[in-house]
Amino acid sequence: MPFRPLLSLALAAAAWLAMPAWAQSDKAVVVTPQVRAELVALAPEGVEPGKPLWLGLSLTHKPEWHTYWKNAGDSGLPTSLEWELPAGLQAGDIAWPVPRKIPIGTLANYGYEGTVLLPVPVSVTPDFKPPALASQIEIKLRAAWLVCRKECIPEEGEFVLKLPVRGSTALHTAAFETAFAGQPQPLGTGSTVDITGDRIAVQLRGLPATLQGKTLEFFPETPEVIETAGAWTQAWDGGVWTASIPLSAQRSQSPQPMPLVVALDDNGQRLSWRTEAHVTSAWPQGVQPVAVSPQLQAALAANAAAAAAPADAGLQLGWIAALVGALLGGFILNFMPCVFPVLAIKMLGFARHAEARTATPQAAARALRLDGLAYCAGVVLSFMALGGLLLALRAAGEQLGWGFQLQSPGVVAALAVLFTLMGLNLAGVFQFGQFVPGRVAALESKRPAVNAFLSGVLAVAIASPCTAPFMGASMGFAVALPAGEALLVFAAVGLGMALPFLLASLVPALMRLLPRPGPWMEVFRRLMAFPMFATVAWLVWVLGQQSGIDGAAALLLLLVALAAVAWALGLSGRTRMVMGTATIVLAALLAGVLGPAVLRPVEAATTAQAGERWQPWAPGRVEQILAQGQPVMVDFTAAWCVTCQYNKKTTLANAQVLADLDARKVQLLRADWTRRDPDITAALKALGRTGVPVYVLYTPGAAPVVLSEILGVGELRSAIARL
Amino acid sequence: MRPANQAPSLGRRATLLGAACLATTALWSGHAQAAASVGQPAPAFTLQDTSGKTRTLAEFKGKTVVLEWVNPGCPFVRKHYDSSNMPGLQKEFTGRQVVWLAINSTEKAALDYLEPPALAAWIQGKAGTPTATLMDEEGTAGKAYGARTTPHMYIVDPQGTLVYAGGIDSIPSARASDIKTATNYVRQGLNEALGGKPISTATSQPYGCTIKYKS
Repeated sequence: MPFRPLLSLALAAAAWLAMPAWAQSDKAVVVTPQVRAELVALAPEGVEPGKPLWLGLSLTHKPEWHTYWKNAGDSGLPTSLEWELPAGLQAGDIAWPVPRKIPIGTLANYGYEGTVLLPVPVSVTPDFKPPALASQIEIKLRAAWLVCRKECIPEEGEFVLKLPVRGSTALHTAAFETAFAGQPQPLGTGSTVDITGDRIAVQLRGLPATLQGKTLEFFPETPEVIETAGAWTQAWDGGVWTASIPLSAQRSQSPQPMPLVVALDDNGQRLSWRTEAHVTSAWPQGVQPVAVSPQLQAALAANAAAAAAPADAGLQLGWIAALVGALLGGFILNFMPCVFPVLAIKMLGFARHAEARTATPQAAARALRLDGLAYCAGVVLSFMALGGLLLALRAAGEQLGWGFQLQSPGVVAALAVLFTLMGLNLAGVFQFGQFVPGRVAALESKRPAVNAFLSGVLAVAIASPCTAPFMGASMGFAVALPAGEALLVFAAVGLGMALPFLLASLVPALMRLLPRPGPWMEVFRRLMAFPMFATVAWLVWVLGQQSGIDGAAALLLLLVALAAVAWALGLSGRTRMVMGTATIVLAALLAGVLGPAVLRPVEAATTAQAGERWQPWAPGRVEQILAQGQPVMVDFTAAWCVTCQYNKKTTLANAQVLADLDARKVQLLRADWTRRDPDITAALKALGRTGVPVYVLYTPGAAPVVLSEILGVGELRSAIARL
Repeated sequence: MRPANQAPSLGRRATLLGAACLATTALWSGHAQAAASVGQPAPAFTLQDTSGKTRTLAEFKGKTVVLEWVNPGCPFVRKHYDSSNMPGLQKEFTGRQVVWLAINSTEKAALDYLEPPALAAWIQGKAGTPTATLMDEEGTAGKAYGARTTPHMYIVDPQGTLVYAGGIDSIPSARASDIKTATNYVRQGLNEALGGKPISTATSQPYGCTIKYKS
């Protein structure tokens, strides 16, 4: 029987594993509920040594929200930028535009409201070599900002911008020019700061004569020197501007010279000047500068880390217990709804083994044992490989969790292609033997153990997004473990999953329970095509959540084209040649045109209709509602998680449950992890989980209650009753 | 000398308005002026703890006292509680006879204000073990100490002198991963103070959320 889907599956799976899971589509814009942040560039003469190049982060704040200047004032944090630039490009410091003073109750901050561009000069050194093959270079930025109204939300974003090397980049010229115009002008020397008791007397010389008599705003660049919200006075003494400003009672900085900025709004224009004023006397004693030598800093940090370790000791869970839990979790994984398509493949495999038994019984038993062990090895090694990948990503600082594969549209599309091919093959549209090179095919058929191994690999590839009970906790635990121990936990999950099949192959008595081979097998094989296509339907739906209806439609068209190619290659002779070429050309064209639509993520629809029972989750939302004394339930879910969908349609739609939730006035929040969302990843991590589903009940003033992953009506109702 | 105009000066009327604003500014900054400073006696206070019991700073005279400004609604506070950093410090030093007072100066009208039982339960839920958790809804203690952020940390020596004012550690960020590499100024200061040494870093930059004082 020329039935060898596993090899091609393995090839596809290998291609999928080789594809970097973190390859996300480029984005220069990050939008949060408070801020729209965009990475922008100005390179009017292209990117060449000696030519001007500016990068910048443009922040547009929602009304009432603000981010901070280099000296944030009484609270807050300055926005920070970490660049990843091609060799030969060197980013300078942020050329901070002049800020505004933002009073917050009895305190004050320095920051920006509305739209601000934080420009960064970049020097293109002679070391810069334009890429040989590409006409663009890639600029990567990791930015962190604290956005506050009265409440504060720390946010970060990763940005990617493709910059043409030769062409001119000038789309944001106006924004950069505004930012340059907002830069303080340097003042000549001669300005001083005199320390008089608990105040400083500032004297600025060299300001334009037209300013005389006008009121200026004052901004010290060094934090922790003055009383930011303190009452201060200013006056003009001829051409010299003077100010008396209270020092902070808890001053921790002693700058010499002291960099200062003054500003005013003049006929709609914001004018500002900067100087480094000489401090005429020593700063009062009793306050030492915080700055210490790097060596001392490192030693202190090491001490602090060593001393901090025992505090975490309470978190240590016996990891033997975790291993047992992982084993059990892996076993239960066989019975999870989302592993069903894999079960189909495995059942086929077993039917094949039963067929092999008809030769000589001893040889068949030996072959079966070998297959069982190979399958087991495939599962365990795949889990360890995935675990290794997860650990590597963790090390790389990627905020990803278990199941991250299906958060990338490219991976979802690749899986849909894979399952379509499997379905077509099972349905008999084509046979793999026809276009797999004869030598490989022969090798394949002579080495069934390889087949069994690859079957194990495939089982894991599909099961991984589903976190069974126990598994979530084990995974969360493993992610926080040292690499070696974490890998063992992953291996235990794999062993648990392979266990039923391993047992069946070692104890052939179990195998005898399987039906005798016969013509029913071909019927069974064709029947198995339907779960494959059902899986494709599910994957298209998942992609629809990520790339919208356009993406889903594009994927369906591509799958049709692919089916045509598979069919054409299944023909014979001249027809095969002609139809094969035509369909391949068509499919390639379609892939070129439609491919981007499949991969392009759409913005999540986060607008909730008023009165809707479930509201979207956002960082800080739970705390806000809790602060009003209302209990909260959060459903961490994803479109690609079948267990989540099952719970949503059963327990969470149960009339009694809904009545209980209403009676207790529980606010329901839904955190949708279908797309990558670092906030949700962080929230899951805080709960000790790395995958969905997770159901959490929060009560004001009590520790959150995490419910089981297969949510029972009884369990949920009793948890609500305890509120 | 003429008072500085805090608001942008767009015209005479605006200047007048600004002056009016400034009058208020001067009033409340009167408090800020009186803020405690390191090396001076720590301001006395009388507050109720979360169980309604009246507590004073004076009752702990003779012991080293840590003051920690706290508000569970603040991501920076959660950074140090969720990571067990703050509860770990509390446990370590209350075990060494240090008095640890967590103070919440959030006004009652604020969105994230927690009632005393809810605040106590939150801290307990995070395995926090301060000697007492004090309610300062009027903001009197907070303003007396010049507390600006949550967290904002202070150390008072057994003689009642303020010996440390500032941040919990040296890396101002909301990322829990920075705790490991940061120098914890409170641990360092307490170890030095308990060892009879002068505190090497007596002031530092407090970082976190603005305290929502009653206006």
